[in-house]
Amino acid sequence: MTNIATDPMIRAEQISKSFVLHNQGGITLPVMNNISFSVAKGECLVLSGPSGAGKSTLLRILYANYKPTTGHVFVRHHDEVVDIVHARAREVLALRRQTISYVSQFLRVIPRVSTLDIVKDPMLRRHVPEAEAESRAKSMLERLNLPERLWLLPPSTFSGGEQQRVNIARSFVDPTPIMLLDEPTASLDAGNRHIVMDLITATRKAGAAIVGIFHDEVVRDAVATRYLDLSTLKSAA
Amino acid sequence: MSHDLQTEPLLEVKNLSRHYGARIGCEDISFSLWPGEVLGIVGESGSGKSTLLRCLAGIDMPTAGDVLFRHDNAFVNIFTLPESTRRHLMRTAWGIVHQNPRDGLRMDVSAGGNIGERLMDRGDRHYGSIRDHALNWLQRVEIGSTRIDDQPRQFSGGMQQRLQIARVLVSEPRLVFMDEPTGGLDVSVQARLLDLLRVLVRDLGIAAVIVTHDLAVARLLTDRLMVMKDGHVVEQGLTDQVLDDPHHAYTQLLASAVLAA
Ligand SMILES: Nc1ncnc2c1ncn2[C@@H]1O[C@H](COP(=O)(O)OP(=O)(O)OP(=O)(O)O)[C@@H](O)[C@H]1O
Ligand SMILES: [Mg+2]
Repeated sequence: MTNIATDPMIRAEQISKSFVLHNQGGITLPVMNNISFSVAKGECLVLSGPSGAGKSTLLRILYANYKPTTGHVFVRHHDEVVDIVHARAREVLALRRQTISYVSQFLRVIPRVSTLDIVKDPMLRRHVPEAEAESRAKSMLERLNLPERLWLLPPSTFSGGEQQRVNIARSFVDPTPIMLLDEPTASLDAGNRHIVMDLITATRKAGAAIVGIFHDEVVRDAVATRYLDLSTLKSAA
Repeated sequence: MSHDLQTEPLLEVKNLSRHYGARIGCEDISFSLWPGEVLGIVGESGSGKSTLLRCLAGIDMPTAGDVLFRHDNAFVNIFTLPESTRRHLMRTAWGIVHQNPRDGLRMDVSAGGNIGERLMDRGDRHYGSIRDHALNWLQRVEIGSTRIDDQPRQFSGGMQQRLQIARVLVSEPRLVFMDEPTGGLDVSVQARLLDLLRVLVRDLGIAAVIVTHDLAVARLLTDRLMVMKDGHVVEQGLTDQVLDDPHHAYTQLLASAVLAA
């Protein structure tokens, strides 16, 4: 039985991952071994460790974008617990629509789609009424200081920081119970970085479970409630 | 898992094989497709993608195996149905978008007629409402309403492809098969068409099987991916997982041949 009040939102059990590169002589690249942790509502777990330690790999495993070599990732989805590692594709997609989001440093630009439509899209997939989606999208873009003249343009020509803010708007306008963040503030100026830090903290306090990677120490210490150091875990393994 | 998921598949494919004499077209393919799901089939040319699609769509007969389609709450085996029933299903419950629009359009019938014909197959008889419906679909696929009486031969390749899509989707099929729907079009026309397909699939909740050799198209449009080589499925799963963390040597080769997304 699961206990909705106390069970973690996400529980990783004994995750190991190695890549086998078939076209490079079949070499095996071990990245992590036997990693376990859990994250509850209202927590922000920050993954730390040097470049190449496997932070992004772990985050992608939590989203089922990578498949771990062994282990489980139990995710609370409404009143059920689902192992996202072994779930069917359509179950993973339902989880991603409603329960878990992944925010990378880069916006995946869809040709020809306007900024406003990109921000509205996840809400429309969740059947938020069009008018409500539109007004929420606009106020989020405003909050992130994205000039109104850009809203109807596709972001393919935007600066790195502008694209990143579109990506953040899209993900935080209607946050899911679990948020996975891979350096979402990497190319923002100080002012916008603060706005995003506040957004992350407010989302956490509203009950989200967050797992994040942040290069910037100021951001990291402002948003973290707990750390997981992957370099020590790796060497211990 | 019950939330937002329909529990029964729309299509069940069991051990499907198609041989051409001693040569393998496709071999022992099994999968299920649920309502609203978009499945991509990728692989090099000659790997059996189109052979498989033609069998799934009932255009070609398999050498072995079954394709079950959920219709009126029962599964029907599309190969044992009477020919007339199968043809009726093909025109109403599922749709086929051909790579070459000429294979899917009536070239000597007006644009409006190409769309209206499908509504008449479905039993619509009121001329005014058929024309309104056709106009509405021309608009959705971004063809000006002044072109309604023109024949497809007067259209560009991209417009013909959009008209074909309107002709297929107007009857609100539950399942659509597409063979290289953006093949042969230049890049900017492709982008428009892809966006159109993406939005239509999202808004109509139709299930689709899309054959493409273009991994960017697969990434944009599909939920799941099957990778074929020499008639066999060598890897399948969630589209982004197959492309970003491929396990089979052949998939790794395919994925590394495109720029990182
Ligand atoms: N899809 C992949 N295929 C093969 N190897 C991969 C893949 N993704 C990551 N790796 C390898 O896994 C290791 C960990 O990479 P990862 O990106 O997780 O590090 P990171 O801790 O996020 O580093 P950084 O701080 O530089 O972002 C690296 O050796 C990397 O090359
Ligand atoms: Mg990283």
